[in-house]
Amino acid sequence: MTHTLHRRGSEESLKNDYVLLVTAAAGINHQGSKAKLQRVLEVVWEMGPANIGSQHLGTVLQGYSLEEIKNSLNEVPRVRCSFASREKMHAVIKRLKELDLGMSVTVQGPTADILEMCREFGIQPHSVNLSLDIWGKKDELPPEEILEFVTMCGHGLISQHLVKKVIEDVKKGKKTPKEAAVLIGQPCVCGIYNPERAEELLKKYLPQ
Amino acid sequence: MLVNQEKCIGCGICIPYCPAQAISITGRKAAIDQAECLECGNCLRRDVVPCPTGAFYEKEGIYEEPRGIRRFFSDPTTTHAVTQVPGRGTEEVKTNDVTGRVCRGEIGVAVEMGRPCMGTDMAEFEKMTMALAKIGVVFEEANPLTQLLADKSTGVIDPKYKNEKLVSAIIEFTAPIDQMPLIMATVTEVAKSLNTVFSLDLIGCFEEDGSLPVLPMLEAIGLKPRVNSKVNLGMGRPYRIIRQ
Repeated sequence: MTHTLHRRGSEESLKNDYVLLVTAAAGINHQGSKAKLQRVLEVVWEMGPANIGSQHLGTVLQGYSLEEIKNSLNEVPRVRCSFASREKMHAVIKRLKELDLGMSVTVQGPTADILEMCREFGIQPHSVNLSLDIWGKKDELPPEEILEFVTMCGHGLISQHLVKKVIEDVKKGKKTPKEAAVLIGQPCVCGIYNPERAEELLKKYLPQ
Repeated sequence: MLVNQEKCIGCGICIPYCPAQAISITGRKAAIDQAECLECGNCLRRDVVPCPTGAFYEKEGIYEEPRGIRRFFSDPTTTHAVTQVPGRGTEEVKTNDVTGRVCRGEIGVAVEMGRPCMGTDMAEFEKMTMALAKIGVVFEEANPLTQLLADKSTGVIDPKYKNEKLVSAIIEFTAPIDQMPLIMATVTEVAKSLNTVFSLDLIGCFEEDGSLPVLPMLEAIGLKPRVNSKVNLGMGRPYRIIRQ
């Protein structure tokens, strides 16, 4: 549940961090939904996602093509991708409303902006999953500068140790922020990690 | 996971990729601490970890219980037999417009134990499930963690899983909205005694006028949602928002 929730960072950094989930409900409307979800993948691809993938295969950051991702969808299919701008997310919602496929559409991002887009398109949102933060032994967590990367994979597959190593590589000039952003994102197998946001975050570590 | 000692050249490229820090170099070869390995599968994916010799492999019987739960909960490329949802996941708000798992007048709660970064063992889960069971919480059936409870009325975990560790797993339930203050008080009290962390989620439905009744209730108990959330746009069919 909720692997796209709890993405951390400043309001400024989260402003352009959106995740789109289009999902068939197992046992209710999943039968015959594969072609619909493949259509969604095609539409989404045209809008320029920052990342896109399938947890049965992997993501574009791992080197898979749209065609391979489309073919990997199973009988309870799901589309997962990230966008690095409000404008792109706006265009995607508009297109999905026009398509009216009857599949569940969920958007992760700044709540106020998502609800504003809903009002603009005459969409009445059904429900919301709110993040009420982290609790427990928080003093053992890595610092926020690391959490803002690792929480872009809610399945916990981006290791804090990989992030720390890659940041050091950027500081030493061994990797560009773009190369580093891709490397950090490869363990996220479903495509919700946002490499464009990560690249922006990594720029502050460039050697002066 | 295991490392083929014949193939491993001891380069150590794999070490930072392990979220559990279970890989180390011993005698110039990589070795995996089996007690710490969460079976997430990261090291096995050659399109993720560029192991030059492909030295990682799955242990025989890795999908069998009790250790198999590490694999199913920690690796999102697996699919759970009961929920038909990948990994530790459930469909929660993602398909809530169709499943009606949380309807108007209700809340959905998820306590994501071990997330982020720290992982968790079953004893920590049990602290939370037992406290929640005491206040009458009914755990979600279509959730893989609920399947590990020996007694759903007490929240006791099946003893055969007691030595297992996971990247994370989700305690999930639906309750009437007026129980929210008691539930939040219970969850935040248990937080003080935990040896791990959890991320806390709250699902609520919008009313016809677009309002969200759970928001003023949260404010009244001093809880403020973070700025980013996950909104179900209500495009799924058949549509459900009223409990029949």
